[in-house]
Parts: sequence; structure tokens; C-alpha cells
Amino acid sequence: MDVLPFLVTQCLNALSQAALLFFLGCGLTLIFGIMRIVNFAHGAFFMLGAYVGWSAVRLTGNFWLALIAAPLLVGGFGAAFELGILRRLYGRDGHAFLMVTFGLTLVMGEVIRLLWGVEALQVQIPAALSDIVFILDEPFPIYRLFLAGSGIVVGLTIWQFLERTRLGLLIRATSQNAEMVHALGTDVRLVRSAVFGIGCGLAGIGGVLAAPMVTASLGMAPNAVIDTFVIVIIGGMGSFLGSMIGALLVAFVQVFGSYYFPDLAMAFMYLIMLTILVVRPGGLLGKEA
Amino acid sequence: MPGMHRRALLMSALASPVVLRHARGETPIKIGMPVALTGPAGEIGAQMRRGAEFWAKHTNAKGGLLGRPIELVIQDTGGDPASCVRKAQDVVERDGCRLLFGMTLSSEALAVVPKLAEWNAVFMSSDNGDGRLTGSSLVPNFFRANTSGPMGTRAVSLYLRQAQFKGFYAIGMDYAWGRNSIGVFKDEIQKAGQNFIGDVYSPIGTKDFSTYIAKIRQSGADACFIVMQGDDNAAFLSQAKQYRLPDKVQLLTEIVDLNSIAATGDASIGLIGSSRYSFTFPGAANAEFVEMWKKEYKTVPDTFEGEQWQAGQVLAAGIAAAGSIDAEKLRVALEHVEIDSIKGHVKIRACDHQGEQQGFMVKVVKKEGAAKPTPELIATFPADRVTPGCGKMTYDS
Repeated sequence: MDVLPFLVTQCLNALSQAALLFFLGCGLTLIFGIMRIVNFAHGAFFMLGAYVGWSAVRLTGNFWLALIAAPLLVGGFGAAFELGILRRLYGRDGHAFLMVTFGLTLVMGEVIRLLWGVEALQVQIPAALSDIVFILDEPFPIYRLFLAGSGIVVGLTIWQFLERTRLGLLIRATSQNAEMVHALGTDVRLVRSAVFGIGCGLAGIGGVLAAPMVTASLGMAPNAVIDTFVIVIIGGMGSFLGSMIGALLVAFVQVFGSYYFPDLAMAFMYLIMLTILVVRPGGLLGKEA
Repeated sequence: MPGMHRRALLMSALASPVVLRHARGETPIKIGMPVALTGPAGEIGAQMRRGAEFWAKHTNAKGGLLGRPIELVIQDTGGDPASCVRKAQDVVERDGCRLLFGMTLSSEALAVVPKLAEWNAVFMSSDNGDGRLTGSSLVPNFFRANTSGPMGTRAVSLYLRQAQFKGFYAIGMDYAWGRNSIGVFKDEIQKAGQNFIGDVYSPIGTKDFSTYIAKIRQSGADACFIVMQGDDNAAFLSQAKQYRLPDKVQLLTEIVDLNSIAATGDASIGLIGSSRYSFTFPGAANAEFVEMWKKEYKTVPDTFEGEQWQAGQVLAAGIAAAGSIDAEKLRVALEHVEIDSIKGHVKIRACDHQGEQQGFMVKVVKKEGAAKPTPELIATFPADRVTPGCGKMTYDS
């Protein structure tokens, strides 16, 4: 393989990986921005998305329906969890949220084990995306291009949503000064439920999209939650743009790092995080530097 | 519990001698089975449990062993060696088991075997791969009825001597098993005078294998040996298929089982590897076993279900020959057990307690009209070529 095709295909790989990381990081950072809580169950929502996606594909035979159903179901479940349980804890300190969301991870893991079993489940790539294209004579899976593209589309959509819609405005306002928004007559509690639901729904989309590449399996949650934390810490807690930059940075360093220095593959992500924490303790775009 | 104990003592003191003798005649033979039912090895443990339950049910239907019914005492270890030792101690000391199955992971078995003498218990392994168990860590009360890890790798390398590939690459999960297996493989390839191009190790839990696939492609190898399991294996094979890697490179692996085929679906088609047991193995004994299994579970038996059945048959032959489950007598009897099993002839060696048996190579194929791919037998190697020298993990030729 020549240098140019290698570089191009690896960059595309990195973009597709960044897209998946972004779905996770973006949801987590939105939730943190509004609620000041760290959602430890984020990886479990990602995993739930993959399993729901598998079932939807199995029931309907249609990957696109799965892509719609999974975020709705996962997001709905997230919103219901916020309404039913998290809402009672806002007066308490951060530990309560950590315990409750960690507990939710365990419960979801066990429930998924009971419902879907212990075996990893394979999700078929839809026929339209299962082929390969030749990029400078190198085969490249269309599905990965689709992943990279969907990351860009979702990123732009969320950005426009935050900038241009009324709910987006409320979300931004709440993250800056919740009491003021409340005083102006908006039910901040509803905004919180909505954001928690949207954040979990994004993790759910990530889960469905990841499933054809990594299968739906019980190991997804712990792996995902660690990656997500790293991205959000790099980008800055609560920063939407930060989570995007964090995802890109981690993906590119990981793809090229593990190619040239495979023995250090696992360390790269943490090295970036450490470096950034030393230089900018609040993350790249974080406020509390 | 203490209350119950007292009551049981009282009852036996009151019982008449005749009743006691009768009761003793039917005392079940308890087999303790600390097994990983949860955690990453949970699926393997579940297979072992099904295999053992099926074997016990079948044996009991035929009148049990020495006229006594078999009773399994199953405990979940979570795949954790420390927890496994505790659970094993439980079944021995609390439940009075003197025979053990289970210990899904080799790390669990290695932690338990030093205790066997103290417990006066015999452990019949059905799935432990680590060569050390019948080598440097061998204890008198340990027996291995199954194909060990080195035997699996050996079958692969014997097969590769027949098949001609220009260059080999290897990818493994970055921990002891991955590095050991690839080390043995590299050694075998180089001894056979073939071209080993390079190797790479991916951290456990890697999700994106695109870089590794690019590396394999770039290496120019036309065969790649894969040492992965679980989620990593499924992810690697699906992605390799998405990159059309199998079009250029023959993928080889240490173990092919139905579980990993189910997890990877069509991505596993074309994969060549060793098999410890497959329902597609030839022979009347296996055909009969598969039929019985299908009747009970409506599906075919998987690798560790078959291996567990074989381990049960070996143990049964030992108990029958010893006429007792006393560890001392059973040990002597097991050292001379030879049976015709679902995998062909199996002979326990007195020198290192390893079961000598054939090595099998399979290729994953999808027959026309079949819903799922299945392993098809492509080569069989005789026991004396597959089993290493006594107490050894490597091969001289």
C-alpha cells in the first residue's frame, strides 16, 4: 500500500471512530452542562441502544427503523429515569448521583443479560451499506463512511438545535444560570428531563451504529463509559464543541498511534488526557480552568 | 444450618441399622462444580454446566455410578480465581464433595489444584487449556480429559505444514494467553522452515481494529493467525470481513467453536482452526450423542458441552474401575482409563494425567440452505502427534 492511500483510509477510519466517540461524549457533556452530574450509566445506555437495535433489526428486518427506534426508546427510558429517580436527588451532593447512576449501570447490565442472554449478538449491516468502495485503489467499507458522515450530520444538527431552537436556547440558558431561567417562568425540571433523555438517546444512536462493528455485547458498557469520560475531560466538562474536538483528537491519535507504536496503543488516550489536564486543568474548552 | 445439622444427627441416631444401610446404598455421589456462570467466561461456564447436567441425567437414568445417583453441586465463581478457591472449598467442606468438575478458567484451576491433596478430592478438567496443569503445576489429584491449549496450537501447526502459505502474520489479545499462543505458533512456523513476517497485539476490549487490519494487509502475508476470544474476536472478524481481508489473507485461529461462529455470523465463513469438539465430528458415538442432545435441548451441542460429556465418561470409567470414589483408589484407576468417546479413543496417561486424543482441524462453511455457518472437519491428526511429551508443553519435531 502506498503512503497516500494509507493516510487517506486511516484518516477516514479515524473519522468514523471519532463519530462513535462523539455520540457518547456529546450526550454526557450536555447532561453535565445542565445538571452538573456525571452520568455513570452513560455506557449502559450505549449498550442498551445496541441491544434494542439488534431486536429492532430482528423484528422488522430494517436497520433504518432500528436507528430511529433505539434512540427513542433509550432516550425515553433515560427521561423516565430522570423523572422517576434522579429528580428526587437534586438537593443532595454529587455522590448521590454517582451511586445512583452506577447502580443503574449494574441493574441495566443484569436486566440486559436476562432479556438478551450472555452471547454477543451480531447486527447485520444494511445491504445498501455493506459493500466496499475503492479509495485510491484501497478497499474501504461504505459503512465506515456512513459512520463518519452520520457523526458530522448529527454534530451539525445538535449545534443548530442548540443555537436556533427555543429548547436549545433554554438548554444553554439553564446551563448558565438555572435559577434565573426558573425565575423567568420556565420549568427547569422539564428542561433537565429533556436533556437527560436527549443525552441518553444520543448514546443509544451510538450503540446501534456501533453494533454492526463490535456486536452487541455485555462488555460494551464499561469500555464505553471510560472512553467517554476521557473525551469529556479532554474537551472540558459541559462543552459541546469540546466533546467534538476531544473525540477527533482521541480517534486520530489512537488510529495512528496504534499503527506506529502498537505496544503503546492503550496508553495514548490517557497520555493525551494527562497532557491536557496539566496544561489546561478544565479541559480544552472547559470553564473552570 | 447448625440446627438442621443437629436434627440430622438425631435422626440418624434414632434410625434403625437396616434403614441406615439402605440409605447408605442410595447416598448420592456428589460432584462439586465451581464454574464461571457470570463474567466474561460466563458462556463457556454455561456450556460446561449444561454438559455436566446432561451427563448426570443420562448416567442417573442408567442407574448411576456404583448404583448411586450423581448429584451436582454447582456454584458460580464469576471467573475469579480467589472466588473459585472459596467456592471449591465450600463444596468440599460444606457439601462433602470429593469429586470436582468446572473451574472454567485456567487461572482458576491453577489456584485450586494445590488444595486438592488437602481436600482429598479429585478434579477432572473438561476445558482448562494451560499446559502447566499437566506440566510444572501437575498435582496427583488433577486429571485433564480435554484437549489442552498446546494441543490445539499443535494441530494448527501440523495442518500448516501440509498447507502452503507464503508468509504468516499473527494478531493476539495483549495478555498472557495471546502472547504465549503466538509465541508457540511462531516457534512452530519457524521450525517448519516457513516465513513468519510479524505479530501485533491489541489491548483487551479494543473496539476498532481498522489499524490492525491495515497492518496485516500491509505486511504482505497470505495467512494470519488470530488469538482472540469473546467480544474482541467477534469485533475483529466482523471488521476484517468489512475490509474484505479474507479475500487476500487466509484467517487461522486456535479454536473454532459454535459460540464464536454465532457471535460473528457470516464473518466467520472461511475461518480455519482447531476444534476441541464439534457436533460434526465423525463416528457413531458422536452421532448418537448429538441425537440425544438434540432431543433434550432442541439444538446441537457446542465445544465445551461435548468436552464436558467426555470428561464425565472418563470419570465414570475411572469410578467403575476403582469401585469407589475414594481419591486414593480413584487416582490409580484413572491413570489406566481408556475409553472410546465422542472424539474417538481417549487414554489417560499415568505420567502426567493428560488425556491422549486426536487433534482436529475444521473450516467454517455455510452449506446451501443452512441458516448458520458450521465447522466442517478438514484434517485429523493422531493422538501421538498432537499430545506433547510427558509433562511438556512444547514439541520436539
